[in-house]
Amino acid sequence: MRWLIRRVLKQGKGAVSYEEDVHFGDQLSIGRAADQAIFIPDLRVALKHARVKITGPGRYRVDSLNLAGIRVNGELTYGLAVSAGSTIEIGSTRITLLDPPRDFEAAVEITTLDKTEQAAVHARRAKPTSLKETWLGKRLPSWLLFLGTLVLGLLIPAASHYSPVIARVITAAHLPGTTSWNPGPLDAAHRFFGDDCKRCHDTPFLQVRDRTCLSCHTQIAAHADPAKFNLPALGEARCASCHQDHHGLRGMVRTDQALCATCHTDLKTRTRNASQLADATDFGKNHPDFHINLPAWNDINVFAPQRTLLTPMVKETSGLKFNHVKHLKPDLNTPKGTRTLTCASCHTPDAGGLAMKPIQFETMCHECHTLGFDTFSPEREVPHAKVAEVGYMLDDYYARRALSGGYSDAGAPAVVQARRRPGDPPLSREQQIEALAWARNKARQVVDSIFTDRACITCHTVTPPTAETEWRIAPVRVAGIWFGEASFTHARHATMACGDCHQATTSETASDLLIPGIENCRQCHAGETGGSKVASTCIACHKYHQAEGLKLQSL
Amino acid sequence: MSVHHESLLNHARSRWFWIALVLSIGAIVAYIWHSPGVPPNGGTWLGYTLGTIAALLIVWLMLFGLRKRSYRGGSASLRGWLSAHVYLGTSLILITLLHAGFQVGWNLHTFCLALMLIVIFSGFYGVYCYLRYPTLMTRNRESATRHAMLDEITELDQNALALADGISPKVHAVVLRSIQNTRLGGGVFAQLHARDDSDAALAGIKAALDEHERSFHASKAKSNQTIYAMVDFLASGTNDRHTDALRKLIDLISRKKSLATRVARDIQYQALMEIWLYIHVPLSFALLAALIGHIVSVFFYW
Repeated sequence: MRWLIRRVLKQGKGAVSYEEDVHFGDQLSIGRAADQAIFIPDLRVALKHARVKITGPGRYRVDSLNLAGIRVNGELTYGLAVSAGSTIEIGSTRITLLDPPRDFEAAVEITTLDKTEQAAVHARRAKPTSLKETWLGKRLPSWLLFLGTLVLGLLIPAASHYSPVIARVITAAHLPGTTSWNPGPLDAAHRFFGDDCKRCHDTPFLQVRDRTCLSCHTQIAAHADPAKFNLPALGEARCASCHQDHHGLRGMVRTDQALCATCHTDLKTRTRNASQLADATDFGKNHPDFHINLPAWNDINVFAPQRTLLTPMVKETSGLKFNHVKHLKPDLNTPKGTRTLTCASCHTPDAGGLAMKPIQFETMCHECHTLGFDTFSPEREVPHAKVAEVGYMLDDYYARRALSGGYSDAGAPAVVQARRRPGDPPLSREQQIEALAWARNKARQVVDSIFTDRACITCHTVTPPTAETEWRIAPVRVAGIWFGEASFTHARHATMACGDCHQATTSETASDLLIPGIENCRQCHAGETGGSKVASTCIACHKYHQAEGLKLQSL
Repeated sequence: MSVHHESLLNHARSRWFWIALVLSIGAIVAYIWHSPGVPPNGGTWLGYTLGTIAALLIVWLMLFGLRKRSYRGGSASLRGWLSAHVYLGTSLILITLLHAGFQVGWNLHTFCLALMLIVIFSGFYGVYCYLRYPTLMTRNRESATRHAMLDEITELDQNALALADGISPKVHAVVLRSIQNTRLGGGVFAQLHARDDSDAALAGIKAALDEHERSFHASKAKSNQTIYAMVDFLASGTNDRHTDALRKLIDLISRKKSLATRVARDIQYQALMEIWLYIHVPLSFALLAALIGHIVSVFFYW
């Protein structure tokens, strides 16, 4: 076998010359030993470093003969079949296997690498020594993460807003839709459509409009008539100015004092006297005295409470005579022995705890104030609050007693006093007339005494009958809700004693107003910055949507 | 000139520390003073203000990546930037939490916050690295450069080869292989683990030495019974020379090993000092995208 061995000799300034040699044999030995076909005098080469065999035309097999292996085509190997064009690198020598030229079976070219080429090879083989040279990168991950986040966080949700089809696909694929934009849980009332952002946010990049709120909340009362009170602030107020959702179940109503206080200053000037309301900016510091609904009735006797400034001079005309002091004395003598009354004996809160139940004669007064009329039958009583029936009932009663006899009243005629036995003959016509005449008189006396002396007059103003009228009892008219504009509830004040607010223990007349004034409330309540007191903002007592008859939608 | 060393933390008398502190205290005071009437959140005027400050800060902090690449400013001014980057970045934690009114949920907005926190805390690790590793690197290099150490390794390799060649082809092969097997640097994990394979080479040489001595003694034992005893006796001088050379070789290889270990450690320190950036930087960009999504979505549905 004939090998062509061509050595490339560099002669400086880029000039190159070749030196060719012929080698005979079936293999080509490479090494530092003198007997090697290719002798490489380099310490990095073993004595017998490698050998090359021909396996076909232009095909070779390279085998390493040393422990370190041999670098073929840049890769370390111990044995490899290669084709022409492959290179073997040993130390600073490069051996290129060639296609054999004519008359040869094999050919190699031997090049000695100069310093720059060696450095290049060295650099090529050097392992990365900084992370920058490894597969780790910052630019590509940065772009991928940036675009990925932008697509998932912004583009997909935005697309799902515009296209219901995309929205369905996204929901099915569990991709983040517009719900991923939800900044916080909705108020309980809005939960049922909570995933449908468009219900409120119908137009992108536009704040929630009032009309979307009013499409459901059709019955919302207005705060005040903007036509009457031409305040720009009133017109500019949006539902969302006060009602901000996405704050969880805490409710979505603004409760801060500034909400009201910013408008309720200098109100008269700003509304050009359209509003007569006094300024109120802080319950503790700047709030007008209370107005109460003083019970009053209009011409046609319909309850029409009068809004009255609460002063010590204000008196109530309830039509009732009542003395709180007397009733609150301990150990009252009652038909059932001594009793001590408390406020709760008569005043019990209604089911909601807001106000007190009306006083009922039958359950509260009757135990002491019996309506008996005849000592001979103390269990009999006249009905309460039925003026006309009292007369009829007494007429009936005394007529029966007179006719049946046995009524042992010294002033009564004999026929009435005489006890009648079974089998006695019936009364004669004259006896009947006499008995009934007595009965009518007796009944009239008793009626008089009941109305004007014993029973009714104790509590009520009684007008005796005239030619045209019957007995008249002044109607009892109790106010009910005293604070018309503020919501006061007894239930929230259950920890207090009644006497803390209501001066019942010194009240001797029913016309005393036991409704406390603002100073009483201020003992415990202050404005929003309450300090040691109960912090109370405006809507603790007042409501915003207060117009009567005026609905927001109609504005 | 200041007596103590100026680091990124106390640059310019800790100017940025004080600025960040004032910013944080200002935010806290505003947050306490502010009473929005609803639970504090990003939608109040203070929420929008703090959010705007935070967003601008994030963008500005990311510009540090650009500033680092521009070499127009001096290194001192770059240190100033880094100092500001660290302190203002830290104050972001507070500002964003106040911006959100400490409200979190499963949404894009909290995702944005979480990304930001990861970026900031990876940055804290970076600060730790920048304070710790340069000193370790300097100590490890013993005032040589990595390049000089590598050159010395090459030189030792050549000397070792020359020495090995004088001993035997087998030892030469072992040394040759050890040179080829010396691994400095490599993949991410190789760099982080500071591995070099010089131990294997040393073991190889030591095995060769052992074997050599064993065969020497064996041949000596045998020599008594052969007629070549004299030849062996004469040759023993040569064997001694080989043993010496082998010992020298072990010396060389040990020196190389210590150098290689130092270079590997140097690479490791550098890798540890940089690895966090591969989290910090890409996640910063994810944060930027999330921030864009956060802002746009808020005004999309506001």
